[in-house]
Amino acid sequence: MSRWSYFAKRLVLSIPVIVFGTSLTFIILYAGPIDPAAAILGQGSTPGERAAIRAQLGLNKPLWGQYIDFMTDMFMFKLGESWVIQSETSVYQLMLQYAPRTIWMGAWAVLIPLFIGIPLGFYAGLNPNTFGDYTASFGGIVWRAMPNFWLAVILMTVLSRSEDVLFGFNWKTFLVTTNVVGPPTGLGDLLNVDNFISATKMILPASIVLGSSSMGNEMRIGRTAMLETKNSNYVEMARAKGLPGRTIVWKHIFRNALIPLIPVITAEAAVLVGGSVLIETVFAINGMGMLFFQSMIQGDVPLAGALMYLFILLLVALNILQDLLYTIVDPRVGYERN
Amino acid sequence: MSAYREKFEDEPLRNRIRQNPRPAVAWAAVMAVLLALEFSALVDFVMSWPWASLVGGIADNLPQGLATALTGAAGTIAGFGDWLSNLPRLLTRELIPNQGYETASGWESTFLNLPPALAWAIRVTVVYAYAFAFLYWVWRGYLVFREHYRYANWTPTDDMIDRLRDHRWGQFGLIVVTMFVILAVFAPTLGPTTLEANIASPYTHNIQYFEGGEVKEATVGAANLASQSQGDSQNFGLGSYDDYGRFHPVGTLDTGKDLFTFLAHGARISLFIGVVAIAIGGGIALALSMITAYYKGLVDLVAVLASDSFMAMPRLIVLIMLDVVLANHWISTLYSGGVLLALLFGLWGWPGLWRAIRGPALQVVENEWIDAAESFGQKPTVLMRKHVAPYVIGYLLIYASMSIGGIMIGTAGLSYLGLGVTAPTPEWGRAIASGQDFVTSASWHISIIPGLAITLVVVGFNAMGDGIRDAIDPKSEGASADEAAAAGGA
Repeated sequence: MSRWSYFAKRLVLSIPVIVFGTSLTFIILYAGPIDPAAAILGQGSTPGERAAIRAQLGLNKPLWGQYIDFMTDMFMFKLGESWVIQSETSVYQLMLQYAPRTIWMGAWAVLIPLFIGIPLGFYAGLNPNTFGDYTASFGGIVWRAMPNFWLAVILMTVLSRSEDVLFGFNWKTFLVTTNVVGPPTGLGDLLNVDNFISATKMILPASIVLGSSSMGNEMRIGRTAMLETKNSNYVEMARAKGLPGRTIVWKHIFRNALIPLIPVITAEAAVLVGGSVLIETVFAINGMGMLFFQSMIQGDVPLAGALMYLFILLLVALNILQDLLYTIVDPRVGYERN
Repeated sequence: MSAYREKFEDEPLRNRIRQNPRPAVAWAAVMAVLLALEFSALVDFVMSWPWASLVGGIADNLPQGLATALTGAAGTIAGFGDWLSNLPRLLTRELIPNQGYETASGWESTFLNLPPALAWAIRVTVVYAYAFAFLYWVWRGYLVFREHYRYANWTPTDDMIDRLRDHRWGQFGLIVVTMFVILAVFAPTLGPTTLEANIASPYTHNIQYFEGGEVKEATVGAANLASQSQGDSQNFGLGSYDDYGRFHPVGTLDTGKDLFTFLAHGARISLFIGVVAIAIGGGIALALSMITAYYKGLVDLVAVLASDSFMAMPRLIVLIMLDVVLANHWISTLYSGGVLLALLFGLWGWPGLWRAIRGPALQVVENEWIDAAESFGQKPTVLMRKHVAPYVIGYLLIYASMSIGGIMIGTAGLSYLGLGVTAPTPEWGRAIASGQDFVTSASWHISIIPGLAITLVVVGFNAMGDGIRDAIDPKSEGASADEAAAAGGA
C-alpha cells in the first residue's frame, strides 16, 4: 500500500468519526434537557417569543427532521449565525474576529515546547543519570503536573505587578509597551516587525502556560526515546565502524528518536483546544475557547453547535496530519499495517 | 487429577490456618485492637446508608403481618446500631478538641488546655499514625499469608511486589497518594473545624471567645466576616490565629472560612470523582480490550473508530457543554454535581485507557498458552478472564494512576470556570479562583496552597504509575507515548 492509498484510507475512516461527533453534539444540544429557544431568550421570555424563535430555527419540525437539517447544514458548511453573543453575526465573521488570536496562541504553544522540551529531553537522554538529567527530568515531572490555569493565574498576576515582584524588571514596558491581559493586538499585519513583537509578547505568557504540560510530556518521552535509540544495535554498529559522535547523533539517533514523539505532539492538540478555554479566560483573550464557553453560558446554542463541529474537524485534521507525518518520518508505517 | 486437587488445591484457607494457627492469631489479635479503636466509626458508616427507605420499600410489598415484623426487627437492629455507633472511638474531634478561647491564665476547653495549634497537630498526627499503622498491618497480613498459608512459595506477583519494594520513586508516589486518601477519608476529623459549621451553614453555629474578661458567644458567620484574608490590608496566613481564637493551619479564604477544612473536604470530592471516573472508564476499557483482543478484525476496527470519535471531541469542551446542558437536571444535584462529573469523566476516559492497553492485550493473546487453553475447549469469556485479563489489568493500573491526575486537574479547571462542583461542596479549583486577585499580596496562600496541593497529588499519582510500570515491566525504559495520551490533563 503506497503512502497515498494509506492516506486515502485514513480520510475515508475519518468520515464516521466526524458524523458521530456531530450527531452527539446535536443530541446534547437539541435533544437534551435544554430548550434552545428558551436558552437564547434567557429568563422571562413569553411563549410567543419562544415560538417565534423556534420557527426561525426550524425547531418545529420533528426531531429527525431537525437532525437531518443540522447535519446537512454542517456538512455544507452553512454554519449559521450567532443569536446571543453578537446577534445576527454569521459564524464566519465571528471566526475572522476570534480565531486568529487562538491560532496565534496555539502556534506558539506548540512551538515553544517543541524547541525547549525536546532538546532538553534529548540532552537528558544523551547524558543519563547526571545532575543535568535529574534536574531536567524532575523539572519535567513537576511541570506537567501543574494545573495550567493555576500556572496562568500566577504568571498573570506576577507579570501585572512585575515591577514590584521581579526585582525591577518591568514586563509591561519590556521591548514594547503592552498590557498583560487582553487579546493580542496587531494580528492583522504580522509582517510589520513592531506588530509582530507586540503580538508575540502579549501572547507569550498564555502560550507558555498552554504548552506547559506538552513540554513536560515531550521531555519525558524524548528522554526515553533517546535512551532506547542510543542503546540500539545499529548505533553500536555505527560507533564500531568509527563514525564521529556528531554524525551518529544527528544522522542515526535523532530521526528515530523523533518517532515516538509524533503522537505526543498531536495528542496535545486536544489538550490545547480544551485548555484554551481556561487560559483565554484567565488572560482575557477573546479567542475561540472563550467564545465557546460564553456561547454555552449565555445559551447561544446554534453558535455552540457550529463551534463544536469546527473543533471536531480541527482535531480530525490534526489526527490525519499526524499519520501523514508518521509516514514521512518513519516510512515503514504505511506499509506495515497491511 | 482430582486426588491432587483434593490434596493441594481445594483445601480451604480455614484448614490451613487450623494446622498452624499461631501467626494468623497473632496478626488477627493486633488487627482486632486496631479495628476496635475505630469500630463505632465503621458502624456509623454502615448506619449512614439509607436503610430506612430500603426497609420501607420492602415492607410495602409484604403482607401486613410480615411487614410489621420486619419493621420491628429493623427498628431493633437500628437501635442497636445507633448504640454501637455511639461507643467511644479514638479518632474524633471531641476526644482531642482544638477549639477554645484564651483567657489570661491560658487556653480553655481545648485538649489538655493546650494551644489550638498544638491540639490540632496532635489530632492530625494521631489520625495519620493510626491510618498508617492500619495500612501497615494489612500489608503485614499479606506477608503472613504469603509466608505461612500460601501453597505456592513463589508467584510472579511476588517479583512485582519485590521490585516495588526497591523503587523509591514509586514509594514516594504511594505515600503521597496514601496521605491524600487519608486526608479525604478522615476529612471531618482532620479539619480544625467542620464543613457544616464553618462552610455550609456558618450562621446556625456558634463559637465561644474571650473578650474583656468574659466568655462571649458569636455565630461562626460573624467570626468568619472578621477573619477574611483580603490581601495586604487584612490577612490570616499560614498557621495564624484569628481574633476569635480559631487556628487556621493554612490560613483563611477571602470569605474568612478555614482553608484547611476547605481543602480536606475538597480532597474528598476530588478523590470521589477520580476513583469513580477511573472505575467507569477503566471498566469499559478493560472489557473492550478483551473483546477486541479476542475477535480482532472488524470488531477492533469498530472500536478504533468509536474511540477516535470520542477522542475527536476535546474532553474539556464536551464537559463544559454537558455540564451547562444538564445544569438543571436532577443528576446535577447529586453530591453538588460531583456524580455528574464522575460519570462524564468516566465516559470520556475510556478511549485513552483502551488505546493504552490495546497493545498489551493483543500481545498477551498471541501467547501459546492461550492457544493451549483454547484447544482444551475453554470458553472465550473464561479464557479472557483467567488468562488474559490479569496481565492487562497491570497495564491498566499504570495508565489509570496517571489519568487520575488529569481528571483531578480537569475537575479543578471546571470549578475554576464556575462549572462542575457547586457550592457549598468545596472544590480546590474554586479556592484558586477566589484567591487569584491576591496572588502577589499577603493573601497569596488562597490560590497557591490549593495549586501546590494539586501539583503534589498529581506528581504522586504519576510517580505511583511509574512505580507500577517498572514493577510490572522492568524492561521498559521509562515513559511512553501511551502514557502521555492517557495522562493528558487540562
